[in-house]
Amino acid sequence: MNHTIIQAKNLSKIYDKDGSAQVIAVDNVSLEIYQGEFVAIMGASGSGKSTLMNILGCLDKPDSGTLILDGSEVGNLVDEQLAKIRNQKIGFVFQSFNLLARTSALENVELPLIYSDKQNITQLAKDALQAVGLADRLDHYPSELSSGQQQRVAIARALVNNPEIIFADEPTGNLDTRSSLEIVALFSELNQAGRTIVLVTHEADIATHTRRIIKIADGKIISDEANHNPVDAKTELEKIANAEVANENK
Amino acid sequence: MKTNRLFKIALRGLGRNKLRTFLMMIGIVIGISALTLIISAGLGAQQRVMNRVKKFGLQSMMVFAGGGREMGRPTGGQPTTTLTLRDAEAIKREVKTIDKVAPFNRKGNAEIKYLDKSTTATVFGITPSWAYVWDWDVQSGDFISESDMDNLKRVCLVGPTVQKELFGDENSIGQQIRIGNVPFEVKGVMQPKGTSPGGGDMDNRVNIPLTTFMRRVENVDYIFGIKILLTSTSQMEQTAENISAILRERHTIAEGMPDDFRIVTPEEVTQFAEKVTGTFDIFLVLIAGIALIAGGVVVANIMLISVNERKKEIGLRKAVGARSKDIKLQFLFESVAVTLAGGIIGIILGGIGAQILQMVTGMPVSVSWVGIVIGLVSSSLVGIIAGMQPASHAAKLQPVESLRS
Repeated sequence: MNHTIIQAKNLSKIYDKDGSAQVIAVDNVSLEIYQGEFVAIMGASGSGKSTLMNILGCLDKPDSGTLILDGSEVGNLVDEQLAKIRNQKIGFVFQSFNLLARTSALENVELPLIYSDKQNITQLAKDALQAVGLADRLDHYPSELSSGQQQRVAIARALVNNPEIIFADEPTGNLDTRSSLEIVALFSELNQAGRTIVLVTHEADIATHTRRIIKIADGKIISDEANHNPVDAKTELEKIANAEVANENK
Repeated sequence: MKTNRLFKIALRGLGRNKLRTFLMMIGIVIGISALTLIISAGLGAQQRVMNRVKKFGLQSMMVFAGGGREMGRPTGGQPTTTLTLRDAEAIKREVKTIDKVAPFNRKGNAEIKYLDKSTTATVFGITPSWAYVWDWDVQSGDFISESDMDNLKRVCLVGPTVQKELFGDENSIGQQIRIGNVPFEVKGVMQPKGTSPGGGDMDNRVNIPLTTFMRRVENVDYIFGIKILLTSTSQMEQTAENISAILRERHTIAEGMPDDFRIVTPEEVTQFAEKVTGTFDIFLVLIAGIALIAGGVVVANIMLISVNERKKEIGLRKAVGARSKDIKLQFLFESVAVTLAGGIIGIILGGIGAQILQMVTGMPVSVSWVGIVIGLVSSSLVGIIAGMQPASHAAKLQPVESLRS
């Protein structure tokens, strides 16, 4: 088995609402994620899956429990060290893309590199955009790109610093079926190339493309199963394309 | 390297919202251009004062006949007749800190004629010591000599203005001119001196031997004033007191009675010149300062709005690895870049304004590095102070909450 990237023990996160009612967003969750995995964290809206992902991705801090990321205990780290982990080890993809407006695709992808010590920023960013199939859209502003393309820019941004793990929070939530499949296909491709990917989604059919499905309800893990026969997004895309061709020929 | 990148980010951030950047800048531009204008005008005035004091001489003082008058400006009425050539000699003799004295008398608005041309000038009766005491010699010809004095010679030195009026480019030396109806031979042409502390043309003069002035022109036995050159710039007050004591004794002024003379020191010349140039006002600087503070408040407010508008951007930057410090610097750079740019524009506008002011009003201005440095430093300071709070606020934002907004 590959080495453990994430080792979470008894993570809990509690929100106080108006001081009276407490909401337990993450309830005593323990899990491990290994290098090279393609994991879906599934659950209904409000199940705590996003909070869990934010904690695993060092964007948020748990109220209790420990998190060991790539060998180091996150709870003991200060702001500067956390920033370095987010910069070097983690890539994020968000539902709403979170690209900087009026900023070219290239510059958006350069963003994580700016906060690293790396040189050749522009070349690295170009390579990442090429990897997501947008080599010809370097100078386009987000407003000039389709939603699917915008999400691919965001994936390039997540990839550019060559992180250990990519967290994607509902990456297909704002996309149509076809673009969703394209994005999932891209994730599969990246995973096949060895990248660890954690995908948070509430859509069962998106989760079927992954190789491990963790289901969350009320902040607790209710199931954690391997998916031995992940659906191949590329095949599905071909099916859609064929159906379209058939439709046109009618 | 990283700071460099952050600065670029800040500039890009400003470039993305040009209207906001412009609004932030405008107050600073106004404040700094006002400041530059005021400093330029103030320095110009100060320089003029300094020039005047220099012209007067830092190592000298003046004694004028008649008490209670403004320097060099008799208030009219009867001339004071008590100050004499003997007083000048006595002062020179008795006060050890005096190097040399130059007694003189004068007559304003005298008609000067050469052939069929005529002009009006001030006639000065002077001594040979004048050249040394005033550091004011002839540019051509010879100065008035002791023998000119002893023999009451009718010789004169013309100022450059008189030379120009009567002779143009011709050589005047050896020519006969008339002061009133008395003929004088031109012996030399004075060096140009420009404007006096009182604002008069010091070159529109005709100098003649003091003895000739007193006997042949005015027929008086008193003098108008004495310029005194000291051995050093120190003990100014003591020397003035000594001179005062000697004159009061010689003029037999009883105790408690006012002086019938007036002693003017360089300090008084400074004050006088400042009064003439108009006071360079701390008040105006204050107004510019308030404009700048108002500009700074605008910057701080817009920065705060900007931070709140860009919470998502801040959250994202943190998610991809920006440290709190990086965020703080980014926003500080933004505000400093805005105010500094505003400052530079303000300095340029203020400098242009100062030139226009000079052209329109004739007020002297001096756009110097002092004004530029003050402008740059104060605009950067305003940027740092105005940006500090918004930048800290931005740095403290939590990535998750900011991304959610």
